[in-house]
Amino acid sequence: MTLTAEARATRTPASPSPMRRRRKAAETRAGYAFLAPWLLGFVLLTAGPMIASLYLAFTNYNLFTSPEWVGIENFQRLFQDPNYIQAWKVTALYALIGTPLKLVSALAVAMLLNNSHRGQGFYRSAFYAPSLIGASVSIAIVWKAMFIDNGIVDRAGQTLGLPAGGWVGDPGRTLPMLILLTIWQFGAPMVIFLAGLKQIPTELYEAASVDGAGPVRKFLKITLPMLSPVLFFNLLLETIHAFQIFASAFIISSGTGGPARSTLFYTLYLYFRGFRDFQMGYASAMAWVLVLVVGAISFVMFRTQNRWVHYSGESK
Amino acid sequence: MKRSVLTATGMAVVAALGLAACSGSGNGGDAAPSAGGTADTTPVTLNFTWWGNDDRAARYNEALELFNEEYPHITVNGTFAAFPDYWTQRSTEAAGRNLPDVMQFDLSYLREFNQSGQLLDLQEHIDSGAIDLSGFDETLVESGVLDGKTIGIPTSTNTLGMFVNPNLLEQTGVEFPDAETYTYDEYNEFIASVAAAGQSTAEGYQIYGAGDYTATFWFFVQYLLQKGITPFEEDGTLGFDEDDVVEYLEMTADLRANKAVYPVERGVALKPLGGFTVNESASEISWDNFLAGYVADSGTENIEITQIPSVEPGEKALFFKPSMLYSIGANTEHPEAAATLVNFLLTDPEVGRIFGTSKGVPADEEQRAAVETEEGSVDAKVIAYEEAVAEEVTETTPIPVKGFGTIEAKWLELGENLNYGTITPEQFASEWFAEAEMATM
Amino acid sequence: MSTTAPATSPATSGRQGLPTAEHSAALRRRNQGRSRARSVVFHVISLAVVAVILYPAVWMFVSTLKPSSEIIGSVSIIPTDPSLANFTKALAGIAGVSFWQFFMNSLVLAVGSVVGITLSCSVSAYAFARIDFPGRGLFFTLMIGTLLLPFHVVIIPQYIVFNQLGLVGTYVPLLIGKFLAAEAFFVFLMVQFMRNLPRELDEAARIDGAGHVRIFTSIMLPLMKPALVTSSIFAFIWSWNDFFGPLIYLSSPDTFPLPLALRLFVDQTTVSDYGAQMAMAVLALLPVLLFFLVFQRYLVQGVATQGLKG
Repeated sequence: MTLTAEARATRTPASPSPMRRRRKAAETRAGYAFLAPWLLGFVLLTAGPMIASLYLAFTNYNLFTSPEWVGIENFQRLFQDPNYIQAWKVTALYALIGTPLKLVSALAVAMLLNNSHRGQGFYRSAFYAPSLIGASVSIAIVWKAMFIDNGIVDRAGQTLGLPAGGWVGDPGRTLPMLILLTIWQFGAPMVIFLAGLKQIPTELYEAASVDGAGPVRKFLKITLPMLSPVLFFNLLLETIHAFQIFASAFIISSGTGGPARSTLFYTLYLYFRGFRDFQMGYASAMAWVLVLVVGAISFVMFRTQNRWVHYSGESK
Repeated sequence: MKRSVLTATGMAVVAALGLAACSGSGNGGDAAPSAGGTADTTPVTLNFTWWGNDDRAARYNEALELFNEEYPHITVNGTFAAFPDYWTQRSTEAAGRNLPDVMQFDLSYLREFNQSGQLLDLQEHIDSGAIDLSGFDETLVESGVLDGKTIGIPTSTNTLGMFVNPNLLEQTGVEFPDAETYTYDEYNEFIASVAAAGQSTAEGYQIYGAGDYTATFWFFVQYLLQKGITPFEEDGTLGFDEDDVVEYLEMTADLRANKAVYPVERGVALKPLGGFTVNESASEISWDNFLAGYVADSGTENIEITQIPSVEPGEKALFFKPSMLYSIGANTEHPEAAATLVNFLLTDPEVGRIFGTSKGVPADEEQRAAVETEEGSVDAKVIAYEEAVAEEVTETTPIPVKGFGTIEAKWLELGENLNYGTITPEQFASEWFAEAEMATM
Repeated sequence: MSTTAPATSPATSGRQGLPTAEHSAALRRRNQGRSRARSVVFHVISLAVVAVILYPAVWMFVSTLKPSSEIIGSVSIIPTDPSLANFTKALAGIAGVSFWQFFMNSLVLAVGSVVGITLSCSVSAYAFARIDFPGRGLFFTLMIGTLLLPFHVVIIPQYIVFNQLGLVGTYVPLLIGKFLAAEAFFVFLMVQFMRNLPRELDEAARIDGAGHVRIFTSIMLPLMKPALVTSSIFAFIWSWNDFFGPLIYLSSPDTFPLPLALRLFVDQTTVSDYGAQMAMAVLALLPVLLFFLVFQRYLVQGVATQGLKG
């Protein structure tokens, strides 16, 4: 070790140095050449626009006249805007209720499928299918038709004793309707859970069986801790995903965020402000608040993960 | 309905044949001495756009076919969108300075687009005779003039009217008040009685007297005029305050509280239809040219137009509004051809026949004369209504403030919330003014 | 890896005690019986869940065969009088544009996305995975960061710039990001895949005097086929379903992809024609479902691995 290091140290200033340096320069050139598409995209489509929207957030800009600096007025206005507060309320409720329910369903079905019975492939694909099409306009149309006045859900609900009336026109039921739509798409996290479950060594369960542990204890003591990295990943991904809901809410509310602003999700309201009213400054301020909030959520989740996420090796 | 479309098509074909023969001899040598005598026939393509539904698109396509027969060198690309999307698209194009050559325009947006100089001053083309306004009422043409520039020419006019469904009145046994003298209070009583009758449609939905009419901004403007308040000042500010708004909204507070107006939940679920067009609501205030659409949507020809209620008995304070205008984008590369198209759509009698009163009563005399007024037809009813209320039209058209489109939409949105009971009239007023402040800046 | 029940039970019983021949035979029989019962229970439950999950999709398909008036309140998945009239109406399109035009627009966008993403992301991923250069670590962190970045924060300035360039209304704003590897998810997926390929391959090639271009094209690309296929499928489906991008950038119906056309169809037909709406919704989904049926294994595996490597 020391010898080679010494040898290298003595050799470097001498002959191979220019060649190595040249080779290193060539590597750097090659690296940047290959990275060029991403780098260009990053500068032009991500970093540049981010800086621009940070600037715009402090201006009044409607595309027609040049941006006018207004300081923090947009942000002040945001928090006095009942629609903006409503947008947070709707989005937060959707994320806080929809995401856990979706993950619980995903985990439950993943555990159901985690065995050696035949037909695995079929079930997995069947459960995954809604994730693929759930965000499409087509499904939003189907959902709307199912939950409308006198639609099949309304009729089924009436036989179960729920008050009559469509869900689409009832501000109290549009959010549950969209939450059902997101739960319906539990397939993607389920597939991820399933892959995680398959990696848990069976010996752990066998050893627990010998110790006389029941299924509940096995779940709590083995499955959950061993699955926590996957759970963490799913939670982070699905939470961020929940903030982006747009197409389904847009279609179901006929592009209004109604009834009574009950589907005025964050992205929908940003679209209204930016692309309907052309208040680009205001919309940029909205975007930056969202970035800060999502950043904070990710930060907290990453920070606290060592308290509840067990990476293999440290757990038993 | 169907027959009149058929005959219109038949006539179009006849006219087209005649024109084809004509153009064979002297290349467009008829009424239009386009652009200074030298008939420039280099091929030109124009973009033309309008808002509306399928029905309107069919009519435009027919009219554009006629245009193409007469001016074969001008190709017109027609596109259309629903009203809200339409303005989003126009704003985008305006920002990029690529508005379509010819556009259907709304009074509400003229000021906004004029401010940034997006629309062509048409005076030059009017002076040259390319756009022939001899059959137009002068005061009506004025409504398209802002800051001394003619940036839009009205195609047609409309005014507010009360639509009534006699079938439902008969079923509920409630009589409609005296149309000439009834006040808002009497109209409210009527609405309450229909709800109290407790009748249902064949599908089992309850029949109501009307929806909450306070949810539409233009009706509020009409109400202000009846009270003698100028809604929009000359300097582009608003002539009313939050108290006026609250007072107006309170008019139907009892109806809302007693659930006597058409339920908003059902109305939302029915979009883009409404209670009136599914024959569950007995009356509705709207622009008189909507009759064609109402008849088409509701499937019954039996819809009447009568007068709207007023604050003081008989003082209706109506106004004629250009239902829409045609404008030309300032960025157009073919102003002459665009003017030719505008002139054709505005004044060609055949076009008048194709559209009837579906865009409003035509502004051009010849077009108006060409509208079929067969007894009992939709067009006859609309024209008869406008003739009947002509005396009541005492106000000039209120020219909307900048940002009108936004505040009009906001009013509608808040009206929905009010009916869901999620906000009070006071909250409505303060939120609306906050929005108006931002939009009119 | 996958441990089957009959394989584990003898092992456990072996650990517990001394398995005589008849003992283990009896055990096996008992296990077989129990596992058959379990299997029945498993299938009953799973099929019940499948039925609930797929009901909306099945209902949608069946609705296309019913007249509009029969769709809304009908729970039944058997049409009384099936007819293809709804499809005729849907195929006629809207706003003077036929269904096939919309379909072609969607196809152009989706194929453009696939080409752009496979090209740009694989090249960029190669730089991240195989070339050592200063700044790589920083860029990699930034790239991961964009995975979590809400798109809202870039969309407005992007729109303003595209608008000033006169590109709103064209497909350029919708495709340029695909050609510039702006979809970090795919870069990440490919980097992870490449990192798992044995380094000896390209080292051997280097000794033979091959440069990065040759290593990339003749060694990496062929080996990356699974990652490329997975990326292509996802890129295709996401582009096919995309609504927000086309909504803000496109305004002329003849350029609309299917999701926008669908929305136009729903909003502009004044009388709610549910039958035709459903038919068009189904037609719009067909390519995605077809992809799904053909490539489901790739898709599910793609999700599984991408998840584990997060």
